Amino acid sequence: MSKESNPALPHLSTEFFVWLWYVTDRDGGTVNLGEEAGVIEVWIDERLSFRTHDEDKARAVLTGEDAASCLEARAAMASGKVVRDLRLRLRKEEREYTFVLRGSHLDLAGVKLPDHAPDGEDELLYERMFLYEEVWFLMRALYRRFAAERTAPTWHGVTLKAIRAWVGGSRNALDSEEVDA
Amino acid sequence: MGIFKGALTVRRYRVEGEIPEDFRDRYPDLLNEHAYREPMSWDIGKEAAGWCLVHNLLDTDFTDRSRWLYNHYLAFALRVDKKALPARLFKAHFDKRVAKWCEDNGKTRVPRAIKQELKEALQQEMLLQTLPSVATTEVCWNVVDGWVFFHATSESANDRFRKLFLATFGLHTEPFSPLDFLADEPDMAHALEAAGISDYRPDSAAAEGEGE
Repeated sequence: MSKESNPALPHLSTEFFVWLWYVTDRDGGTVNLGEEAGVIEVWIDERLSFRTHDEDKARAVLTGEDAASCLEARAAMASGKVVRDLRLRLRKEEREYTFVLRGSHLDLAGVKLPDHAPDGEDELLYERMFLYEEVWFLMRALYRRFAAERTAPTWHGVTLKAIRAWVGGSRNALDSEEVDA
Repeated sequence: MGIFKGALTVRRYRVEGEIPEDFRDRYPDLLNEHAYREPMSWDIGKEAAGWCLVHNLLDTDFTDRSRWLYNHYLAFALRVDKKALPARLFKAHFDKRVAKWCEDNGKTRVPRAIKQELKEALQQEMLLQTLPSVATTEVCWNVVDGWVFFHATSESANDRFRKLFLATFGLHTEPFSPLDFLADEPDMAHALEAAGISDYRPDSAAAEGEGE
């Protein structure tokens, strides 16, 4: 039976990217996803790119160790650009993944999987697909957390306010949100 | 590569429609019907596309299921060939042909229709001597969970994949939407869809008023 198709509206991904960036900064890279996925580590890994609202081409690309924390990144946000893609590093228990998350379909690019060396071709495929599915599962858990925050009554009064202050460069914003919340 | 080694770069789809219970018996024929075949003739810019096995793009026989069916995963690849002529070399040869025709026929100019004939004949000759550019892109389909990924993110490659997938299996593919993550939370999905774009600019709060 065919399900109704969900639209892949651009804001569904760009808002998520900003939230991810903000939360990894706010929470120091550790996110507790509760019963759904437990505690994971997640942080921006040396790449962020920005675009304007009305075109897909990257207008600013920041790379290097400080990509997520440099003033240029916040300045791009402050000028009204949106996050086009970001490179994430995820760690769940001993398994670590890096990949670029991009676009309205949440395309995954350059996904590096943890080391694996199973015997046989079948086992190799099963293991790699298991690892790929774990990445997707963790993205799902993160997205659901984002969706809950984004649709909560406190979004405008607390979270968005704190993100704006953070974009403006106020490091105290991260602490003040905790107080406000 | 990506399914068996190296990094993955993928767009994910939901597969719409029923997969027949006897897919293990039916799909080898469907894949063979739409496997890559060398075209009888080439035209400039013409593409030839079809399925091949992941491990070797010359292998296009899907009769042996053990080569592409891994329990509930189907792993195969889309092969697309295209021939193009080197423009400068083509022009050099063409100018020679035109000059020879003029000499043979005692003319100083070649009529338009003859020129077109010379051009097409030279194109066919050179296309026969030219190897195609070959691209393969992997596909991995989980028939139990109903998703498939295509190992490329360009729109044109993905469009071609979806068309051939539909032609082969009679199944539509829907590109992933983040709202699919909220399938069991329809109210939240609707609220998120309607929420629109936030303005994160620090000075936007003052412009809007803080009483949101």
